[in-house]
Amino acid sequence: MAEFTFFGGKGGVGKTTVSSAYGVKCANAGRKTLIVSTDPAHSTSDVFDQQFGDDPSEVAGYENLWAMEIDPEEAVEEHLMDIRRQMAKQVSQVVVNEIDAQIEMAHNTPGAYEAALFDRVIEVMRDESEAFDRVVFDTSPTGGTLRLLSLPEFLGGWIDRLIEKREKSLDLYEKAAIGDMKPRKTVDDDPIIARLNERKETFEFAGDVLREDATFYLVLNPDELSVAETRRSIDQLGGFDLDVAGVVVNKVTPEPDPEEDGKGARYLRTVCERERERIREVEDEFPVPVVARIEERTSEVKGDLLRDVAAELGIDVAADASAPN
Amino acid sequence: MTIHERFAKIREQTAEVLHGLFHGMIEHPAFEQIEDEAMDQEDAFFFACFADAFGIPSPVSYYTAELLPYMAEDFEAWERRLWDHGSVLDWKGHYHF
Repeated sequence: MAEFTFFGGKGGVGKTTVSSAYGVKCANAGRKTLIVSTDPAHSTSDVFDQQFGDDPSEVAGYENLWAMEIDPEEAVEEHLMDIRRQMAKQVSQVVVNEIDAQIEMAHNTPGAYEAALFDRVIEVMRDESEAFDRVVFDTSPTGGTLRLLSLPEFLGGWIDRLIEKREKSLDLYEKAAIGDMKPRKTVDDDPIIARLNERKETFEFAGDVLREDATFYLVLNPDELSVAETRRSIDQLGGFDLDVAGVVVNKVTPEPDPEEDGKGARYLRTVCERERERIREVEDEFPVPVVARIEERTSEVKGDLLRDVAAELGIDVAADASAPN
Repeated sequence: MTIHERFAKIREQTAEVLHGLFHGMIEHPAFEQIEDEAMDQEDAFFFACFADAFGIPSPVSYYTAELLPYMAEDFEAWERRLWDHGSVLDWKGHYHF
């Protein structure tokens, strides 16, 4: 089974850069690595200057490195078609037309996007991950990620209650069938309970993997908002029983040389001073270690620069499953 | 037709009428009540699955939509029942046409 690493954080802090760099680092260490972008605004393609699709494809110029970008829209569409196909098999066309509006509506709710994304992530964890040693998830900005990761528990409870309700009504139907009457529906061959159970198992699988085989890192910038949000994220993730292994401080302003004393240099020194304070705050107050400090680059982090950034990441990639890094 | 045959026939008819009477007065109302309860439970189940059909956003409707193929026929009746509880035709299965 592959190991899973999630990178989360506020929007614009450089999650894609950091997760790509981490992917490169793992690949360089000889581990077959898959980078999965779950952010609907994909930017993995930009980092590697190569278009990725919904299935893993090899990253040109790197060994052992693969990437994919999940397309929730496509997943929603597929789910919709699946149900329609199933529907055509089960009931008459007249009924199909009546129900179609409901199916359409279910796929247009805001939660549908999230659910489809989550389904796809589970699919990747269960099926695609088999061919890889390590799977790196570049997640969408904090809010979405947190919701996504809390889904298994939340949905699991919901499904439990649905199953309970359904069983109760079927039980009553059985009791209503006195004598040689046949019950209209029974618990054992009810396709609805079967379907709900299937869902429940999927969520349980996801919950187990997230709790046991996954490592979480949060990326932040040395500014007040980013630090505050990361602090909240650590708390919230902890609430879901998901422990954050460390934080990556990205976009640290480089310090000017000591002999420089122009206007720019003085400005930079002030900025650096402020940032150092923030980083100290993170180091002192956060319950998790700072695993990397990455300097701001003047150009986009691509190609060789990506390898440099990878080298700066203080996350041990050689560690195996038995010794989590 | 002998007298014996005629008696047997009358006995048969009486048994049928009595059984019908028993069924109609005791048996049927009993299991109809249980079935009522079963249907109420089912309605609640439907509502938990498809609250969004009534404008209540439901985070699971994406998943419960998967169940629709199996409950399509009941779903339609349920929706009508909830929109208009006074409808005579859909008031549970009580009218045995």
